[in-house]
Amino acid sequence: MTPSREGARIALAVGAALALGFAIMACVSDQPWAALRALLTGPLPSIERAVDGRVVVHRLVRFGAWLQDATTLTLVGLAIAIPFRARQFSLGADGQLFMGALAAAVVSLGVGDVPAAIALPLAFLAAAAAGAAWGLVAGLLKTRFEANEIVTTLMLNVVAVQVYRLVVGRVLNDPTAGFITTPPLPDAATLAPLIARTTVTAMVLVAPAAVAAALFLLRRTTLGYEIDLAGANPWFAVRAGVPVARATVLAFALGGAFAGLAGFHVSNALLKRLPIDLTPGIGLEGIVVALLARGRVGALPLAALGYAYLRVGAQAMERATDVPREVVLVIQALIILFVVSDRLAPLALGLARRTGARVRARIGGRAA
Amino acid sequence: MSLDLVAAGTVAAMVAVATLRAATPIVFASLGGLISELAGCINVALEGVMLVAAFAGVITSAYSGLWFPDAPLWLHPWLGCAAGLLAGTALAGLLAVFHLELGADLIVAGIGLNILAQGLTVLLMAHLTGDKGSTASLTSFALPNLRWPELGDVPVLGALLNGDGGAGHNVLVYGALAATGLIAWTLRHTVFGLRLRAAGENAEAALAAGLAVKRLRYAGLLLSGLLASGGGVFLGMGYLTLFQADMAAGRGYLALAAVFLGGRRPLGTVVAALVFGGATVIAARLGLLAVPAEVVFMIPPLVTIAALVLVKQHQRLAARRRAAAGRATLLSS
Repeated sequence: MTPSREGARIALAVGAALALGFAIMACVSDQPWAALRALLTGPLPSIERAVDGRVVVHRLVRFGAWLQDATTLTLVGLAIAIPFRARQFSLGADGQLFMGALAAAVVSLGVGDVPAAIALPLAFLAAAAAGAAWGLVAGLLKTRFEANEIVTTLMLNVVAVQVYRLVVGRVLNDPTAGFITTPPLPDAATLAPLIARTTVTAMVLVAPAAVAAALFLLRRTTLGYEIDLAGANPWFAVRAGVPVARATVLAFALGGAFAGLAGFHVSNALLKRLPIDLTPGIGLEGIVVALLARGRVGALPLAALGYAYLRVGAQAMERATDVPREVVLVIQALIILFVVSDRLAPLALGLARRTGARVRARIGGRAA
Repeated sequence: MSLDLVAAGTVAAMVAVATLRAATPIVFASLGGLISELAGCINVALEGVMLVAAFAGVITSAYSGLWFPDAPLWLHPWLGCAAGLLAGTALAGLLAVFHLELGADLIVAGIGLNILAQGLTVLLMAHLTGDKGSTASLTSFALPNLRWPELGDVPVLGALLNGDGGAGHNVLVYGALAATGLIAWTLRHTVFGLRLRAAGENAEAALAAGLAVKRLRYAGLLLSGLLASGGGVFLGMGYLTLFQADMAAGRGYLALAAVFLGGRRPLGTVVAALVFGGATVIAARLGLLAVPAEVVFMIPPLVTIAALVLVKQHQRLAARRRAAAGRATLLSS
């Protein structure tokens, strides 16, 4: 399918999911229209002209939340999309993110009084390494022991969250904080906001850079080619002498490194200290982002921006109306289902008649 | 029988009972996973099916109490059970339609349906009770327990059959045992079981032999939904007597692990499910000691991973031994 057709199909899927989500909102809410408005305009700052002629920008916080959420989502999207190039369904971005955040915090607190030029890169690399190591485990389990990666990555997520809680609660705990958390990370190791009053930091630029690096790796290097071959036809790849197992393991590790960077973003840019009850689950959102991008790494930032918009809008909606933000889970699920249903869009578009014969043939073929 | 032996037997019986109770939802779900896997389209949405079934069961039993106050009390939980089974099977049916009719990738669609179930249950729960955590504010019913009072005085056996404090076992615990036998028998000894496995083993050959492969896969997915719903209903109307957000807590994925671990055979699958149940029981017992809770929570996932690795190693060694034995026979002849 051509990119434009593909784009139209995804737009249609998202539109249909939103419409169905709205129908559900109308069922559970007294103010569905207000909820929809909050959902769709929530992340935008409002720009007004004050009485004295100056331009005043309101609600920058939510705009910032949108950008920083998109940053996280782009990185965890990479963590899903790269193993997927090798046809591996890694659901492990969550655990890798937790390990990355933990490693970044440990290094930041551990290096002591050093300039930012040393502390920041160290924490950055520690996060990437920890995420990659956690991804490597899943990769090795898959290639050495043929352990189903969906199951192992989910199990490793649970283990990672518990390791995180163990270390934050019992090793790094700051007794003066009043709640269970690490001490604040030193200023030298944290990133300052780029836009005042928001949490948007230089990481917002790192995310597209990470995508560019991943693109370069996948398109221009031998390893990237091997990963693609291992995914496209592992049998052929083995016969052709491609080290399929190594490529698969490295795809997991690479994905993990990016999820680890998402952890760095959480610890050293957003929160600047790690609470014990950091909520798991953002890693799984990477699936939606990777799906919306249809596995195209270059399209990840766009998909992440779109999906983050929806998530921040949902938070605005929950605050403004009686609709819980879980409605976004439903919309998210519907987007997933509609996007992967290859035969849904042609049917819906009325192309059914023109391509009727081919579709019928394909249904017969798929059943076989 | 000496007293020590009786005491040890009673403790063993208690552990067995606790394991069975913790494993019941996983047993149901893993049987569902098995049947769909054998039909050639593994049901990744087991987790969502359990959630939806538990939710529908709890809500229906609670509202049937409100709507039909005159109905006999024993009826409400069974209405809830029926609604739970129906709702869970419907979700599996949705997966079947998306995969078999609309060409959606099985795994991605399954994950999507899990997310849908997670969102919808919390959304509706918040709408009905105003609480996003649990349905504690509703009075829902549990399915009855079966007890054998006449055996209560028999040592060990009484503890085994009547459980902690002589309360008996939930009817669905027996349901899980019955389902295990039934599924094992159906898959092995019936024409339907043979055809189902054929559709999964080699779809083209099955099609050439005149089997309705698509219909068989529908049957496999719907049956898997029905079985996993049994586990979900047990969670909401037996294990606990309410619905909690994200109540399945990964059991659906554990069930998938059990299918692979059990070598895609009914008994192996159920044994693996029991091992997972046992891991949670051990974790709970350790939690009573001075072991940090975090370490305790790591045990079930680590047991799962270790089991997957060990079984593979075992299979590999067995294959090597067979090969060696074959070589020896060839050389000696």
